[in-house]
Amino acid sequence: MLKLKNVRQCFMPDSLQEAVDILRDSQGKAAIVGGGLDITVFPRPYIEKLIFLDKLHLNYIKEKNSEIRVGATVTITDMERSLLIKNYLRGRVKEILGEVASQLLRNQITIGGSIARGHPYSDIIPLVYALRGRIVLSDGKDDEELLIDDFYRENFRELLKNKIVTEIRLKKYDDSYRFGMKRFVRNATDIPLLNVALLIKVEKNIIKDASISLGSRPGIAYRFIKGEEFLKGKKITKELAEDFQEFTEENVDVGGDARLSKTYRKHLAGVYSKNILLNLMEV
Amino acid sequence: MKVHYTINGEKKIFEIKPGEVLLDVLRRNGYSEVKGNCYMGTCGACTVLIDGVPHTSCTILAAKVDNKSITTIKGVGTLQHPHPLQKAFVEKGAVQCGFCTPGAILSAYALLKENPNPTDEEIKKALDGNVCRCTGYVQQVEAVKFSIKLLKEEK
Repeated sequence: MLKLKNVRQCFMPDSLQEAVDILRDSQGKAAIVGGGLDITVFPRPYIEKLIFLDKLHLNYIKEKNSEIRVGATVTITDMERSLLIKNYLRGRVKEILGEVASQLLRNQITIGGSIARGHPYSDIIPLVYALRGRIVLSDGKDDEELLIDDFYRENFRELLKNKIVTEIRLKKYDDSYRFGMKRFVRNATDIPLLNVALLIKVEKNIIKDASISLGSRPGIAYRFIKGEEFLKGKKITKELAEDFQEFTEENVDVGGDARLSKTYRKHLAGVYSKNILLNLMEV
Repeated sequence: MKVHYTINGEKKIFEIKPGEVLLDVLRRNGYSEVKGNCYMGTCGACTVLIDGVPHTSCTILAAKVDNKSITTIKGVGTLQHPHPLQKAFVEKGAVQCGFCTPGAILSAYALLKENPNPTDEEIKKALDGNVCRCTGYVQQVEAVKFSIKLLKEEK
């Protein structure tokens, strides 16, 4: 079954400059291939050229300047198994990565590809949002670093006509930070109908800082800033979790689609936010 | 365009279309043991090992695998010399229609190479992309555990 009927050429560039040059010269008719899952499952008929990143040495996970730096072609499996991720935020990030899709697809999906494609149901995007990740883009010569919020706030598809996502940077958090994420899926390997990620900083039972994101809403993931403000400065208790459910249901920006009504998605967002907070109380 | 693969230890050169997926290239060239079904990476019937790592060949571009090593179920064992995993799948009733079996065994094979004593949870996780609609999964997990015993006996 030839899905990519119009593809005429494949490129394996040896440098970022070469890759960006091909991308730019193709005027929208070239696709960057990380793992290649997206392009084969959702073929775009106008694509005539494929640019593979395999020779660009972007398959690394390293620590630098108190950050974990993840190369764009690192797969979910690579990241899940990395020693740097093993104890990151008490191992919760590793756990979540191991729940995404199936083992076979985790072996193929790349972190850079997930960010660059910007699919609404991605589990990686809300994860990186909640962790306040930074996206590194290259135009072949210079790097540009954007907070994930800014990357999606700007027209990221326009940005990626001339640039390539090369790295994702995650801040290292001290022990006062706690992280949790929940995905609503019909079965273990399905794409989520909602995902909620929450990072909080707790000192003497008071929430000093919070970062919340929701994805599969059904639009692209976003940061629930009102929810963050609601939590900040409050004592973490069961009562707060109950109040947070109510607040989330009233204020969260989620919609409906054929798979889930808006009312139900709002309710789920509230319940999941509460449950994550309750789990984080016990950390 | 031409691609160079090492399939089950043999070097091969194939002519491919730039937009083709690996599954189609393998089946066209006689590797019919690699099953095709969903073309979306959701069923796992088309699983092969690429440099030892399980992948759905229906979602991997053939060009991306250039110069890599591919293992199909025939690279694991044959009718005459089945691998302990294959023996265990038969022994424990983990095979019914057989369509998913090559993929499931390849996923289990990759797991055991990396982790010779997996827990039940690790086995389930390794096989979570290989969907079976006949036998179910209890027998498959039992078969993988039984194969560990057979592998130890072989040594």
